[in-house]
Amino acid sequence: MEELLKKTEPVKLESTTELRKTMDGYFTRLREAAETRNRKVAWCTSVGPAELLYSMGFEVYFPENHGAMLGAAKNADKYIPSAVAHGYSPDICSYLTSDIGAFLQNETPLQKSGFKAVPAPDILVYNTNQCREVADWFGFYAKHFNVPILGIHTPLSIPELSPEIIRSVSEQYKNLIPGIEQVARVKFDMDRFREAVGLSHDGCALWRQVLEKAKQIPSPINFFDSAIHMGPIVVMRGTTYAVDYYKILLAELDKRIKENISAVPGEKYRIYWDGMPLWYKLSSMAKLFAKLETCIVASTYCNSWVFDDLDPSDPFESSALAYCKLFIVRSDEVKETVLENLLGDFSADGIIFHESKTCARNSNNRYGLQNRLFKKTGIPYLEINGDLNDPRCFSEEQSIIAIETFVEQLAGKSGK
Amino acid sequence: MMKYRLGIDLGSSYTKGVLVDEQNKIAGLHCVKSGYSFNNASSKIIEHFSASHEIQYPVYTCGYGREQTSAAFVSNSELIALSKAVYEVYHRSCSIIDIGGQDTKFIKVNANGQVDKFKMNRKCAAGTGSFLEEIAFRLDITPEEFTGFAEQAKQEVKINSFCTVFAISEIIGMIKNGATLPDIIIGIYNSIILRSMEMALVEDHLVITGGLPAKHPMIVSLFKKKYPDSDSPEHSQFLAAFGCVLLNNDKNKP
Repeated sequence: MEELLKKTEPVKLESTTELRKTMDGYFTRLREAAETRNRKVAWCTSVGPAELLYSMGFEVYFPENHGAMLGAAKNADKYIPSAVAHGYSPDICSYLTSDIGAFLQNETPLQKSGFKAVPAPDILVYNTNQCREVADWFGFYAKHFNVPILGIHTPLSIPELSPEIIRSVSEQYKNLIPGIEQVARVKFDMDRFREAVGLSHDGCALWRQVLEKAKQIPSPINFFDSAIHMGPIVVMRGTTYAVDYYKILLAELDKRIKENISAVPGEKYRIYWDGMPLWYKLSSMAKLFAKLETCIVASTYCNSWVFDDLDPSDPFESSALAYCKLFIVRSDEVKETVLENLLGDFSADGIIFHESKTCARNSNNRYGLQNRLFKKTGIPYLEINGDLNDPRCFSEEQSIIAIETFVEQLAGKSGK
Repeated sequence: MMKYRLGIDLGSSYTKGVLVDEQNKIAGLHCVKSGYSFNNASSKIIEHFSASHEIQYPVYTCGYGREQTSAAFVSNSELIALSKAVYEVYHRSCSIIDIGGQDTKFIKVNANGQVDKFKMNRKCAAGTGSFLEEIAFRLDITPEEFTGFAEQAKQEVKINSFCTVFAISEIIGMIKNGATLPDIIIGIYNSIILRSMEMALVEDHLVITGGLPAKHPMIVSLFKKKYPDSDSPEHSQFLAAFGCVLLNNDKNKP
C-alpha cells in the first residue's frame, strides 16, 4: 500500500535541504541587518533593480516573496479583511492585501524565523514592469516608515523593444542612483554594479538550464518544484548565493536524467501552466497531478525569472533590456509567440490557464489569447478560476473535476 | 438471474441512479436528494434497485460525491460520462449545455464521440438550479410553479444582476414598479440562457441536458428560439449516470 501511495506522489528533490539552508542564510542576513542596523535594508519589487541595491551594500527584502509566504502558509484570508477595512479593494492584488493586512495585524511568517516583524526599510524601490499595484503597495509602507520611495515606470504591453524604450528605462535606472546613495551613504561603484549584474546573469543562466531540464521526457522537475526552488533567483539575484545554489540543483537534475528518475512517476501527460500558482493549494495540486500521471513541465511564472540578457559590459542598457523583455510587460502578440514556442519546446500536450481573480496582469486568458493559441497550435487548453493568494476565490471541487476531465480529454486525444 | 450494472451520478443537489441491462438499455431510473451524505444518497439508490434486480458490483459513479460511497465503485469524470451518453444517443458531433444544481457545463463532442473542448461556469452559481431554487424560495413559489407562470407571460423583463442575491433585490424592485410575476419568470429563464450562451460559441447541434431543463421544459423551448438546431434528449438528468456505465462497458459487461 505504501509502495502504491509513493507511486502516485511527486518525487521530492534532495536539493530541498540545500535550498532551505540558502533561504535561511538570506533571512538570517536580513534579520541581523534589521536588528543591528549594521546594514541598510531596501525593499524591492520581485523584478525590480535588485542588482543595483545589492551592489550598494543593502540587504534586500521582497514584499512579493512575503506575500507568497502568506499564501503558502494558508493565512492570506485571515489578513485580507484588515486591508479591505483600510480601503483596499478585495479585487486588487491579493499579495498586496494579504501583506498589508498581515502588517496591520503585526504578524508575519518570519516570526517563526526569529524576526519580531518584517525588517523595516530604509528605502523602497520598485519597477512597475509587472504591475502598477507595486507602486501603491510600496507607497503604503513609505508613508508608514517615513522613508524614501523611488521607482522605475516601465511602459506596458510592449510590442517591440525599441531603442527609445530601452533608453528611457536605462535613464530611469541611472536616475535612481543619487537617491539610493543618500540612503546608503556610499557612492555608487560601477565595478560593483557590473559584478552584481554579472552574478545576476549567471544565476539566471543557471535557472534557465534548470527549467530547460524539463524538456526531457520524462521530466526530472515539475512546476510545483520550480515554484519553490525559484526562491533564490527571486530574492538573491545578483549574489553568489543564487549561483551556488543552482549549480547544486542542476547537478541533481542531471543525475535524475541519467538515472531516469522523473518528477512525476509514470509521467504520461505534459502540461504547461499559465498564470500564478495557487499558493495555498501547491501541495494538494502537486499530488492531484501526480495521481493523474501528469507533469506540469513549464510555466509562464517560473520562466519569467530568466534575465539572461543582463550583461556586465553594459549594465544599465542590458538591465533595461532584460527587465523590459519580461513576459508580463509584453503585448499579447509577443506573449502568444512566446507561449507557442514554449509549448513546442517542452512537448506540452495541453495548457492550463489559471485566471487569477485579483491579478489581471498574470491572467492571459482575458483577451482571447487562449482561443488564438488553440487555433494556431491545436493544443487543448483548460481555464480554471482561482487566485494566487485568496482561497475564497477558488472552488476546489469544481476545479478538480475540470482538471481530471482535462487529463481524460488529453488521454482520449493521444490514445496514451 | 440477469445482472444489472448501475451508474450513479452524485451531484451537488440530486443523486441520480440508472440501471442498465446487458443490451446497454436503461432498465430503471431513480433520483434522490443528495442531502448532507452522499453515502446515504447512493445507498438509497442501491436499495431501491436491489429490491427488484440483482446489481453487479462495482457500481460506476461520477459527480461531486463520486468517491463517497461505501459500495465498491469505479469513479468517472461526469463530463466524459455525459459526453459518452449523449454520443450514444446522437452518434454525431454536437455541443452540450448541461445545467445542474450548481454547475453549468459546455462540452464540445467531436464526430468520434471524443471531448474536444469543455468549460465549466466560473466561481458563481447564478444561472444554475440553485439560482432558481433560491429565487423560488424568496418569491414564495415552488420551482414546479415556474413553468405555469412563464406560460402566462406577455413580455419579458430583463434581469441584469450576475449575483443571485442581487438578482432577488432587482426582482423585488421590478415588482414594486409593476412588473408581473409571469414576465419576471420569463426574464429569469432568459437570464439563465444568456449565462449559458457566454460559455462558448455553439456552432453545431445543441443538446441541452441536466436537472434544470428536465424540470423546466420551458427553458428548452426558449433555447430552441435562439438555436433552432437544438433539443433535449429523454432522461437528460440521468445521462451522466448512464454514461458512467457505458464508459466501462468493455471492461465489465456481465
